[in-house]
Amino acid sequence: MKLADFQSLFQERVLAGSGEADKPLLKKLRLSPRGATPETLLDVYQSGYRIRLADFVFQDHPGLRAILGDETFEALVDDYIDQRPSHDPNARFFTTGLPDFMRESPRWRDDTAAVSMALLERAMVDAFDSRDETPLAVQTLAEFAPDDWPQLAFDFDPSLTLLELAAGTIASYDAAISEEAPGKADAPATGDKIEHAAVWRVDHESAFRQLEPDEYVALCEARAGHAFGDICQMTAFQQSGEITPERLAQCLSSWFEDGMIIGVRVHSDDHSSNTPSSA
Amino acid sequence: MEKPAPLGYGLGLRPVYYEEILSSRPPIDWFEIISENYMLAGGKPLAMLDRIRADYPIVMHGVSMSLASTDPLNFDYLRQLKALAERVEPAWISDHVAWTGVHGVTLHDLLPIPYTRESLAHIVERIQRVQDFLKRRLVVENASTYVSFVDSEMSEHEFVREMAERADCLLLLDVNNVFVSSFNHGFDPVAFIDGVPAERVVQFHMAGHTDHETHRVDTHDQPVCDEVWALYEHARRRCGDVSAMIERDDNYPPLSELLAELQHMRDIDARIANEQALSAA
Repeated sequence: MKLADFQSLFQERVLAGSGEADKPLLKKLRLSPRGATPETLLDVYQSGYRIRLADFVFQDHPGLRAILGDETFEALVDDYIDQRPSHDPNARFFTTGLPDFMRESPRWRDDTAAVSMALLERAMVDAFDSRDETPLAVQTLAEFAPDDWPQLAFDFDPSLTLLELAAGTIASYDAAISEEAPGKADAPATGDKIEHAAVWRVDHESAFRQLEPDEYVALCEARAGHAFGDICQMTAFQQSGEITPERLAQCLSSWFEDGMIIGVRVHSDDHSSNTPSSA
Repeated sequence: MEKPAPLGYGLGLRPVYYEEILSSRPPIDWFEIISENYMLAGGKPLAMLDRIRADYPIVMHGVSMSLASTDPLNFDYLRQLKALAERVEPAWISDHVAWTGVHGVTLHDLLPIPYTRESLAHIVERIQRVQDFLKRRLVVENASTYVSFVDSEMSEHEFVREMAERADCLLLLDVNNVFVSSFNHGFDPVAFIDGVPAERVVQFHMAGHTDHETHRVDTHDQPVCDEVWALYEHARRRCGDVSAMIERDDNYPPLSELLAELQHMRDIDARIANEQALSAA
């Protein structure tokens, strides 16, 4: 048997798990001098494959495990391993596709609480090793002339993800990762209610916090590059409720304090500048 | 044979020990990283590595090069590896006599091959291409295996020797892997160590494994066992002064226990050196 054919067969049998179809491969194995059956030895690879991949999902999704319960979570992991074999040499990225898999799977897509939790946990994992940038302090604003402030636009840390989640997801995640009773969390009540979250990295650790609806809209618009002064006027923002320049300034201050902002520039319709117009 | 200078006694760098390493600066001569764990855009792993490499030599050890795979070499992976090497400046880069998948799939395991002339020619050609791309000699490790194949045309150590000489690569001798595979397949582990070209060995791996009575599995979650220590002594006598280290990947003990294993290694080596000095006198 050519090496390529052997590897195709071996991989097929590892992906499928032990069974009758192993026979052609089992015939290729030498007998164990210790009395182990060929099936037992091949199963080291077959079961090892599933254990290893399942472990990656367990590590990255404590909240999902907590709200689904062990049995349902393991069924989800089995489905994912069966239907989405890994294609990235770096094992870190095996779990990245889980939320998308759940949204596309007839079995899992209607569990909005679970999908929501998977999205939050993926954002936490992605934030952990995203590109390094240096956050700016709020004092950076002092470098800009007051007349420029309405035109100020902001660059955000690449780790920042903004999420619209099923209501209760954040509290469930918080409970699942708590040091007092890790792994215990109730699933959020199913319904149409939503909540918003920001996930980012600060001081080498992933962080998250719930956003009020007006702050979520403001942050979305600010991240899209809109200037501070324009955001108050935006339809999307006005639909989310009352907003005042003072409230927006308060949000901006918290984004600086949270370490989300990495750049400030003067924005205009035809050009942007990364430098203050006056110091 | 031009080889990198020996680094002494090292440890596999794992996140669970970051803080203790940085705060206590333990008596470890060098660290080996799992390359893939640092092939990332940024974040804590790279930040910790930057701080630790400021004080310790680093060696890069990969698990995904898939040298024996019949898939095309993954140059996206190799470019990332090369970029990491430019940042880390490792003493060397290693990977395994193994494959991890075909048809674009990766099984995240070090899979076995039949030791045939076809496999040999295939892996030799790929090691040479990797060495050309990385512009450095690759260090290649013997893997633990649980099955062996009726199609094999040579022993594992004959395969490894021929591979190293034809590809002109260096070797990482995993002493625990020799023991595990010898137990599982019934070959003489001493003959394996005597059969590989000692002049190409630049590193020893030492680790623990799990005993399932009819077979043993390379789990890196136990202390090094007595049989593997005995084999280490033989390897040390045969290969001389090469860099040696402990790998631990699960069931993590206090760092002090791993330091004690490194001290055991030092004690064995000191005894061998004394014996050799006495016999030379």
